[in-house]
Amino acid sequence: MSLIQVKDLYKIYQMGNTEVRALDGVSVSIEQNEYVSIMGPSGSGKSTLMNLLGCLDTPTSGEFFMDGTNVATMGDDELAHIRNKKIGFVFQTFNLLPKSTSLRNVELPLIYNGEIKAHERRDMAIRALTRVNLGDRVSHKPNELSGGQRQRVAVARALVNNPAIILADEPTGNLDSKTGEEIMTLFDELHKQGNTIILVTHEEHIAAHASRVVRLLDGKIAVDEATNRGKKVTQ
Amino acid sequence: MKSFFWENLRIALSELWSHKTRSILTGTGIVIGIIAVSLMSTLINGVDGLFEESMKFLGRGNLYVEKWPWFGDEDWWTLRNRPRIELDMADEIKERSQYAMVVAAERGRSANLSYNELSAENIYIHGVTSNYPEVSTVDVEYGRFFTESEDRTGAQVVLLGSEVAKTLFPQGNPVDKMIFAGSKRFRVIGVLAEMGKFMGAFSNDTQVIIPLATFNKIFHGPWGRRSITVKVPEHLVEDAKEELRGVVRVLRGLKPEEKDNFAINQQNAFRQSYQGIKLAIGGTGMIITALSLLVGGIGIANIMFVSVKERTREIGVRKALGATRSQIQGQFLIEAMVITASGGLVGLIISTLISMAISEFLFPANMSFGVAFMAIALSAGVGLFAGLAPARKGAKLDPIEALRYE
Ligand SMILES: Nc1ncnc2c1ncn2[C@@H]1O[C@H](COP(=O)(O)OP(=O)(O)O)[C@@H](O)[C@H]1O
Ligand SMILES: [Mg+2]
Repeated sequence: MSLIQVKDLYKIYQMGNTEVRALDGVSVSIEQNEYVSIMGPSGSGKSTLMNLLGCLDTPTSGEFFMDGTNVATMGDDELAHIRNKKIGFVFQTFNLLPKSTSLRNVELPLIYNGEIKAHERRDMAIRALTRVNLGDRVSHKPNELSGGQRQRVAVARALVNNPAIILADEPTGNLDSKTGEEIMTLFDELHKQGNTIILVTHEEHIAAHASRVVRLLDGKIAVDEATNRGKKVTQ
Repeated sequence: MKSFFWENLRIALSELWSHKTRSILTGTGIVIGIIAVSLMSTLINGVDGLFEESMKFLGRGNLYVEKWPWFGDEDWWTLRNRPRIELDMADEIKERSQYAMVVAAERGRSANLSYNELSAENIYIHGVTSNYPEVSTVDVEYGRFFTESEDRTGAQVVLLGSEVAKTLFPQGNPVDKMIFAGSKRFRVIGVLAEMGKFMGAFSNDTQVIIPLATFNKIFHGPWGRRSITVKVPEHLVEDAKEELRGVVRVLRGLKPEEKDNFAINQQNAFRQSYQGIKLAIGGTGMIITALSLLVGGIGIANIMFVSVKERTREIGVRKALGATRSQIQGQFLIEAMVITASGGLVGLIISTLISMAISEFLFPANMSFGVAFMAIALSAGVGLFAGLAPARKGAKLDPIEALRYE
């Protein structure tokens, strides 16, 4: 059974008289510990797909199974639960809470987990920050950090709860290429440690980190193939 | 569950701290409402205590036959033109009334007293019958009360109120000393125990007591208070009052169609009009409280809507990280309740200070634990109520739309 199984997924926005088919019948399966990049021109539906996979959004129609359960029929609280425990989301614009320190930002998913004691939360958050090389920046606020550091805090936040899937929507889009590579190194490591990683990018060299690339065009999957790296692995 | 509470409390405090001015302005309505309600209850408690204390002077089973009613809305001129009370009715009343156990008569007016170089001005001279101790709370601390024969013969003896004794005899026993009331010499036969004030204002300790006959002998003229006190069994006081009315009407020769030209006063009259005053004070206080809490609550609801709007993205982030609706709702509810409870606390502190000042200078008024608890609960309740709609709005936001919000 696949970790993620999507069948005939549609997301249609009604804009006055016109219909925008952000996703126009997408079917895709992603296995445990896959490293997938999603590419496509702007407006092709990449973010829409990521948001659906991240349980942040609900499809107009279609089926979405995660670990065999149909997410499309889940209620609000169940979705919140999945977002909290199974998914780590990394955004292009970081989306850190500006008034909170790195430590508090990273702790957030643990707080909403509701079962972890305060001192454990702190330890886990510090470990996650150390993993992204920010062990010495725990009490900095986002505006006291560089762009790359902010995105690393966001990655620490995504992985602190040990989620099954890490979703990243253009995680390097707001970073220079050197900092972008640093973030990609982090994803590579996470992948090696067994995480499933799905990331959106429009840069070929970023996509090359993954072993599989899914190309979208007008809300449909145009190409779904192994990358060079993926081919090497399978050979 | 517990961890969200502390987290939400922490968020609320830091959020309010970062908008200090806004929080203070928003909380002011609540502060005023809580001051109104807690001060009100404290004052009413204080006045209640004062009232009950004062009522002891009047005695539950006492009926007072007087010219002037204590309360009421009768025409002043009609009252003014009533004949004055003939104190010698006292014996007749005792004779004719079934209920009367003791009938005492009294007169009063003020005069100046002196002893050697010391003087006490505007002292209430109370001329009473020798049975007066039976109908009042006077208590002799030193010496003795006067006897019936001293009353009958108009002996020039006097008992001093505790304040008067202190003024005229700062160092020593006044008993058997001679003092002057106006031009008349009186022998001090006793000092009264301290009694305190009536309704916090009229001191009972600045009076002196002399026999009624002596009073009549010295002070001529129509001025001053005249009263006949009829002591009856407490539980029969209403029946006794009716009977007494009849007795006095007969003694005064009133025809059936004529109205009473005297008043029968009793503690109840005080009680009734006190209840009225209390209701008025309480009602006004409740209206002020309700209005300021309502206005304060609306202000808080308003500011919470603004806060939810401003923090749409934050809500999006929290939801993306797994916050449920109820967790987000809790966050904003707690924030609203922290504003109002802090407002309530500030209000409570201010009213405690005010009631301490009142206790110091006016009458005992202590903030009770119950009042304090009610004030805090009430203000937190207002927060809960005012925060509900904004909190629900924030909780219902769609995560992805909230994240996109600029
Ligand atoms: N909330 C929305 N309302 C209307 N149209 C939307 C909305 N979100 C996305 N779209 C449309 O859906 C299409 C896909 O958007 P998106 O998934 O963001 O593209 P990408 O991330 O690939 O650039 C675009 O045409 C976009 O305009
Ligand atoms: Mg996009």
